[in-house]
Amino acid sequence: MSDVIRDHGFTNEVLGWKAWLPTVDLASASAAQVAVLEESHPQAKTSDYYLTLAHHPDILRQRSQAFNAIMYAPGGLSRAERELASTVVSRVNRCVYCASVHAQRFEQLAKRNDVIRELFADPATAGTNAREKAIVRFSIDLTLEPASVNASHIQALREHGLDDGQVLDLIHAISIFAWANRLMLNLGEPVFPDA
Amino acid sequence: MTSNASVSVDLLDSLLDIQPPTSLHAARHAREKVAAATQASQDLFFDPELANNLSLTERLWVAYYATYLTPQPLLSAHYLAQLQARGVSQRVRQSVEAGELDSLGDPRLAAILRFTRTLIESPVNGDQQALQALQQEGLSTEEIVVLAQLIAFLSYQVRLAAGLDALRSAGAAQ
Repeated sequence: MSDVIRDHGFTNEVLGWKAWLPTVDLASASAAQVAVLEESHPQAKTSDYYLTLAHHPDILRQRSQAFNAIMYAPGGLSRAERELASTVVSRVNRCVYCASVHAQRFEQLAKRNDVIRELFADPATAGTNAREKAIVRFSIDLTLEPASVNASHIQALREHGLDDGQVLDLIHAISIFAWANRLMLNLGEPVFPDA
Repeated sequence: MTSNASVSVDLLDSLLDIQPPTSLHAARHAREKVAAATQASQDLFFDPELANNLSLTERLWVAYYATYLTPQPLLSAHYLAQLQARGVSQRVRQSVEAGELDSLGDPRLAAILRFTRTLIESPVNGDQQALQALQQEGLSTEEIVVLAQLIAFLSYQVRLAAGLDALRSAGAAQ
């Protein structure tokens, strides 16, 4: 990371994460647990997060399939814009660990971090152009006030050039981070490089 | 296991009346892996035979309370109907809706629903002590992991439902 951002307790630096519950011990893990770790993430076997979720391998498997299909599928909303939405949700939910990971992914894909800097400072005003602002605004609204979201929110996205497939990809990316943030926030905590 | 996934209907398509040949149905099922993993998660979380874990009634109370608090009326009506089919009392329902969890007379369920409320309304406030409160009511590590996954899944499901409902209301793009 060439350009470190630290603001409001958020950072784009690489963080660790430690579990609050006992993790699955690989030496005594079941075949089903090992299998789901191997299919979830390349580093899952050494990750406290995956070793916590592996206590219930079937549920982890479906979560990973949903997550990977939402974040990595080709076509539709650009992967950078999906990562932007994920970072907005994580900033709003105050998941410092998730915000760090997805700020880094956004920068890798978009080759810039100007909007991340704005987002960490103040999500309500972030966005370097009208389309980005519309994506940020919708990500905040669906995160904080899901019951208020209606057709006018969809029209605002369409007016900024999103087709309905892209709107659906955006809804998926926001929603899956409602899921991911709660696991990361509520089953453990970030570990900072200086700690 | 997911053996029943292939025969189950898609809950969100059903509740939101997302049917072919609409463009919304086509858009949603162009992302079939997402729809399939969402429904397979639904089937797992509400599998009556989820072994050595939270009872189905406990999981349905979590789902009802989470969707009631959000609120997501279609999903809360769905989970309430499931609870009513299991014969839950009106008194328990009123206590849950009022957030009077201590008056449930069931400290384990009260702890589970208190954790649900924290994660739904203010996930940043769910700390290590929140897990200890569950452990004190006898929840195992596996039960706590399933409970956290369930509430997190419901947080996903209510937003997906709200987004799909907004897309449906917006109608086909011009």
